[in-house]
Amino acid sequence: MQRNLIIVSIILLTISCSTRDDRMRLSSWVSSPSETKLLEQTLDDFRAKNPDIDFQFEPIPGNYSEKLQLMLGTRTAPDIFYLKGLTAPSYMSFDILQPLDDFIAQDATYDKEDFFPFLINAFQQDGIQYGIPKDFSPYVLYYNKKMFEEAGIDSIPTTWQELEETATKLTKDLDGDGKTDQYGFMVEPSIEMAMPFVYQNGGAFQKEDGALGVADDEFIEALDFYYGLYQKGIAATPMDLGTTWNGDAFGRERVAMVYSGGWLLPFLNDNFPDIDFGVAFLPAGKKQATVAFTTAYAMPKTLKEPENAWKLFSYLTGKEGMATWTSTGVALPSRKSVAIENGFYEHPIFKTFIESAEFALPLQVKYSERGYVESGTAMQKIFLGGKEPRQAMIDLAKRIEKYRLVE
Amino acid sequence: MKLKEQAKIAYLFIGFPLILFMVFTLIPIVFAFFISFYDWNLLVPDKKFVGLGNYVELMQDDIFWISAKNTALYTLFVVPIQTFLSLFLAFIMNQKLKGRAFFRAAFYIPAITSSVVTSIIFVWIYSKPGLLNFLLSLVGIEGTDWLTNPDTALFAIMALNIWTTSGYFMVSFLAGLQSIPDALYEAAKIDGANQWQQFWKITVPMVRPVTYFVLVLGLIGCFQVFDQVYVMSAGGPDNATTTMSYFVYTSSFQYFQLGYGAAAAVILAMIIFTATYVQKKYFPPDAY
Repeated sequence: MQRNLIIVSIILLTISCSTRDDRMRLSSWVSSPSETKLLEQTLDDFRAKNPDIDFQFEPIPGNYSEKLQLMLGTRTAPDIFYLKGLTAPSYMSFDILQPLDDFIAQDATYDKEDFFPFLINAFQQDGIQYGIPKDFSPYVLYYNKKMFEEAGIDSIPTTWQELEETATKLTKDLDGDGKTDQYGFMVEPSIEMAMPFVYQNGGAFQKEDGALGVADDEFIEALDFYYGLYQKGIAATPMDLGTTWNGDAFGRERVAMVYSGGWLLPFLNDNFPDIDFGVAFLPAGKKQATVAFTTAYAMPKTLKEPENAWKLFSYLTGKEGMATWTSTGVALPSRKSVAIENGFYEHPIFKTFIESAEFALPLQVKYSERGYVESGTAMQKIFLGGKEPRQAMIDLAKRIEKYRLVE
Repeated sequence: MKLKEQAKIAYLFIGFPLILFMVFTLIPIVFAFFISFYDWNLLVPDKKFVGLGNYVELMQDDIFWISAKNTALYTLFVVPIQTFLSLFLAFIMNQKLKGRAFFRAAFYIPAITSSVVTSIIFVWIYSKPGLLNFLLSLVGIEGTDWLTNPDTALFAIMALNIWTTSGYFMVSFLAGLQSIPDALYEAAKIDGANQWQQFWKITVPMVRPVTYFVLVLGLIGCFQVFDQVYVMSAGGPDNATTTMSYFVYTSSFQYFQLGYGAAAAVILAMIIFTATYVQKKYFPPDAY
């Protein structure tokens, strides 16, 4: 039954493939209608300015990376596509992406120095630029103003200790049945969520010399603190509260503070418009730090129309296109000049995000995906299986050493 | 001459499905076997021949062993329960009950519903504030979060699968039951056999060919379980629901190790082949 359905869809796919024209293509994944609209608007602007350049916008609605892999493997990849910062090292190590340095060198108007260094460096390997970050979003602290008021808290936590104290005050049993109804903070059994604490403690997943850092004291201490919040019962996981992710739990007012990125803003706006919240820098550990997530535009090695492709590429990652793309602030510009021009440094909410760029670090590991997935499994062992963090990380380090990408 | 012409028309009829079978089943199977001896990331054309390297590495991969264990456990629980349950349901649905048509349809609906849809519904049912825990709370039991608890996740998926396939196989058993001559039951009644004895002494042996069919299909289906895992738990938590086919999928399409994934698929195919062969040899459909 299902097999037949699959076969029919494959036939339809083959037919649609065979009738596809040979135009230049641009592909993105699809995350929200508002993002698609913004991208379409940016592309329309480009079309209006370059009527002679013909291209097709072909979003990939689901299983983006699987499809992109197949297209790259069969030499049918789009001419410009999204590349996730986290998995970029894998793609860069396989020699399938177009080096961009020559394009950048020949284009006098393309100001590469304008990009935030930690973002542009994320898409370099051995000094070769393989992608240009189109935007980024750092984790910031979202807090529920009403809950803060009710608990009589008038200052936002700025250190780990304050985070713990504030979370303790905000954890409440509202209906007196002996069960906590409102949690102070939210943790997730994932590496991404633990990384801000690791960075703040001076640790790293992978250190600058390439060595694995997961079993270092800095990493494990941070994890102990992070897991400690959960053990003390002042933080919950989204699953504990029957929610799918921390934004959902925050919107439903089940938790007073969460760490999240810019994507939470439109979600709250659409689903929980009445919630009164504020954003602030993440509380600092030994130092101030946060994790920033970034996505780049990249081109395949098998580029068909390099000149036209670069025109579109440089428009999208240039000042003009990026100003349109980031105009709503959900995705923040990777160019400093665009951030200034769009007024983000003066904006009450976006200010916190864009200023976080000063101490943000990307999350990127030069390990095969399997290494990264296994690190998530190690976190599940701690949170769901009750494994001791130090032991979990020592085991993890042993397990994933062989998945390091060869450069 | 006549026969040849008939054959021509026959080939015409089976031609299209045959082409589909070749292109989407046979060639990929052969190719998967071939690629399992190579180290290939799918992205670049050059592949390195590694001989049995992938198989050797698999034997040392504890996640692969976990996936094999999960698959075996899954099959061991699901196949007997779903076979017995579907036979039992069919036996009841074969009686002259009120609302029989309604119940038949109700039991069959899960089987014709997309597995992705049923999986998503069950994600909600199994969630912490979900329906299952609500029902349990009525009898004073505090439930867990079924899909993120490593101890319960696999069993939760088993239960879903039993629910969906029982109705499907019930229809097969119903057909088998209806081909049993009434005379046998009448004779048994005269001899004083009760319902239970009739079920075990007449129904069960008489539907043996159907049981064989259901067991084989059930076994293959269980070894290949994928959609529910993909939708409901993504192999987690802590690899508690990583089945062999899910392992194949992640290795091939997420970790850029197509040859490695293909080797795991070949092993899975050999296990299924062996299991089916053993079944055919020792529990043939027509002996009783």
